[in-house]
Amino acid sequence: MKKYVLFAFALIVAVAVKAQGAHDFKINEVFIANPEVSDFAGYQDEYGEVGSWIEIMNTSYTTHDIRSCFLTNDRAVLNEKLSAPERIAMMSLIPKGDIRTNLAGRQFVTFFADGNTNRSSLHLNFKLEAGKENFIALYDGNGITLLDQVIVPADLKPGYSYARVSKEDPNTKEISYEWVQLEPSKVTPNNANDGSQVSDKIADWKEKDPHGIAMAIISMSIVFGCLILLFAFFFTFGWILNRMAKLNRVKAIRKIHESAERLVVIAKEGAETKGIEMENYAAAISLALHEYMGNMHDVESGVLTIQHHASAWETKDHMLRHTPELHHQ
Amino acid sequence: MLLEATSTMDFIGQKFADFLTYTGFANVAWANIIMIAVGAFFIWLAIKKDFEPLLLIPIGLGIILGNIPFKAAGLEIGLYEDNSVLNIFYQGVRQGWYPPLIFLGIGALTDFSALIANPKMMLIGAAAQFGIFGAYIIALALGFEPNQAAGIAIIGGADGPTAIFLSSKLSPNLMGAIAVCAYSYMALVPVIQPFIMRALTTKKEKLIKMKKNREVSQTERILFPIVGLLITTFIVPSGLPLLGMLFFGNLLKESTKTTRLAKTAGAALNDIVVMLLGLTVGCSTQASEFLTMDTILIFVLGACAFMIASASGVLFVKLMNVFLPQGKKINPLIGNAGVSAVPMAARISNQEGLKADPHNYLLMHAMGPNVAGVIGSAVAAGVLLGFLS
Repeated sequence: MKKYVLFAFALIVAVAVKAQGAHDFKINEVFIANPEVSDFAGYQDEYGEVGSWIEIMNTSYTTHDIRSCFLTNDRAVLNEKLSAPERIAMMSLIPKGDIRTNLAGRQFVTFFADGNTNRSSLHLNFKLEAGKENFIALYDGNGITLLDQVIVPADLKPGYSYARVSKEDPNTKEISYEWVQLEPSKVTPNNANDGSQVSDKIADWKEKDPHGIAMAIISMSIVFGCLILLFAFFFTFGWILNRMAKLNRVKAIRKIHESAERLVVIAKEGAETKGIEMENYAAAISLALHEYMGNMHDVESGVLTIQHHASAWETKDHMLRHTPELHHQ
Repeated sequence: MLLEATSTMDFIGQKFADFLTYTGFANVAWANIIMIAVGAFFIWLAIKKDFEPLLLIPIGLGIILGNIPFKAAGLEIGLYEDNSVLNIFYQGVRQGWYPPLIFLGIGALTDFSALIANPKMMLIGAAAQFGIFGAYIIALALGFEPNQAAGIAIIGGADGPTAIFLSSKLSPNLMGAIAVCAYSYMALVPVIQPFIMRALTTKKEKLIKMKKNREVSQTERILFPIVGLLITTFIVPSGLPLLGMLFFGNLLKESTKTTRLAKTAGAALNDIVVMLLGLTVGCSTQASEFLTMDTILIFVLGACAFMIASASGVLFVKLMNVFLPQGKKINPLIGNAGVSAVPMAARISNQEGLKADPHNYLLMHAMGPNVAGVIGSAVAAGVLLGFLS
C-alpha cells in the first residue's frame, strides 16, 4: 500500500514539475515582415533572409527545453471540442534534437514564421501577415494545454515589433506586463525587450543609500526579527513544557494525597475497630511513601557510581605474560 | 649518417629548449614567489601554531598550487582553464554549492540545546551581526560598489562558507581574497577577540556566574530545526540554501532515526567538502588576481568587521544586563561568541572566564550565542543577497 502511495505521490510531483516548466515559456516579442518596408535590415535567419519571427522567453530561472511544444496561428485550435490529433494537425511542432531549443533561465529563442520547416528546427510551418490581426498561440506537448497566446493588432506599424514589456509599479513595486509596439531601433530578437522599467537593484541602493545606513537598519531589523521570533517561540514553548511538567507533578501529588487520605481513613477505622495490625499499618505507610518518592524521582541524576573493587585477578602476576624461559638441553 | 645524427641532436635540443619554456622556472614572477611564501606561512601557522589546521592546510597548499607558474598553452591544468580537474573542483565554489554542503555538516554536528534552553541568547547572535553592516558602511565609504561591499562585509559574520557563498554570488572577482580573509580571521579568533573582551568588561562583570541551563527535551530538539527553518526562510527566502541545509543537517541529528546520515554529513561528507573547498579557494588566489590594493583593503575591512562584531556582541550583553534582574544577569564575556566561529569563539569566552574566576565555566553558556551567530550570519547573507543580487 505504502509503495502505491509513494508512487502516486512521485507521479503527481513529476507531473507538477513538468507542467511548471512548460508554463514558464512566454511569447515575448513578435515581428511581422511588411512588404512595404523593402529596405528594412531585420533579424536574419540562417539563410540570410529577413522575415517574420516569434520570440519565446523562458521566464523561469532554470533551464527548460521547449522541444515538442507547438506554435500556431490558427484560431481554430481554441475550439475545445477538437481532439488532440485534430489540434496538432493545425500546429507547427518544435522538433527535438536542436540544442537551441534548450533554454537556460531568462533566455530566449526566436522562431521564423516563414512556412519553410525544411530549413531548420527554428522555422515554422505558417506565415504571419502584415496589415491583419495575427493570432499566435503556444501549446504544450500534449497539444491541449495552452501555455500562452497573443493577438498582434492589425495596426502594427511597419518595422515595429509587438513586445511584452515589464513595468514596475512605483508604489507597490509589483511587476506587471503589457504588450506594446516597439519602434525599429528597440526591436530586440533573442534579447530582453527594451522598455523594461525594472530598475537595477545595485544602482538603486548606490543612488539612494550611498552611506549604507538604510541597508544596516533594514538588515539588522530583519536579522533581529528572525531571531526574536525564534526566541519568542522557544521561550513560550519552554514555558509551556515547564508548566505542563509542574501540572503533572501537582496531579501526581494530589493522587498521593488522595491515597494517603484513604489510608488515614482505613487506619482510623482500623484503630476504632482494633482490626488493624501494626505490620499492615507500617506496610501501607511504606507503600505510600514509596509511591511518593518514585513519582518525585522522575529525573535521574545520570551519575553512575561504580565502585572499584580490587581482587586477586588484577595482580600483575595474573595480568602479565610470563617471561619465556629458555631450556638448554 | 653524421648528418642524420646532427639533425636528431638538433631536434632533441629544440624540444628540450621548448620544454624549458613550459617549466615553472621560465614562467615565474615575483608575485608568484610572494604568494607561495604566503601559502607556506599558512601551513606553518596551521602546523606550528595550531591555528585552524583543518582549514589553513588545504588553503595554504592551495595557494602554493594556484601560484605554480606555467605557460598558458591550453594544457587544461590551471584553475581558471575549462575542463581542468581543478576547474571542475572550483565549480563548487564558483556556483556556490560547497557552502551549503558545509552547512549540512555544521547542522549535523551542532547541538542547539544551549540555545533552546536559554533562547534569549539568540539576541546576542543577532547583535553580533552588526559587524557585517558596520563593515558594509566602511566599505562603501572606501569606494566599493554595494555588491562588493556586501561581499566583503560578510567577513564580519566570521563564517567562511557564508562568506564564500555570498561573495560568489555578489562579487565573484573578490571571492578569493574574501574567502582567504574570512578563514584567516576565523583562525585568528584567539588573537583578535580577547583584548576586545577585556577592554569592554569590568572585573565585576567578568565574575558574573550564570545558572546551569535546564534540560532540553527531545521534542524541543526536533522542533528547533523545523521551526527555525520555517521562521527564517519565510522571512528571508534568499537564505534558503544555507539555512535549509543547516536545519536539515540538524534534523538528521536530532531525529535519532537517521544517525547514519547525520554521521556521514558531519564527518565524511563534511571532510571531503572542506578539503575541496579549502584547496580550490587557496588556488583561486593567483598572484595576478590576489596581489592588488583591493586585497589589502579587504583584509583591513575584514579586521574591522570582525572587531565590530565581537564588540557589538559584548556591548549588547551589557545592555541586556541593564534590564535583567539580579541573578539572571549574563556574563558579557560570552558576547564575543555571537560571531559564528563555532566553537572557537565560545572557547575564548570560556578561557577568559576562567582567567577571571577559575571556577566559572562559560563554555556551555557561550555555545548559545555561538550557534545563534551561525543562524544570524546566514540570515544576514540572505538579506544582502535578496537586496543586491
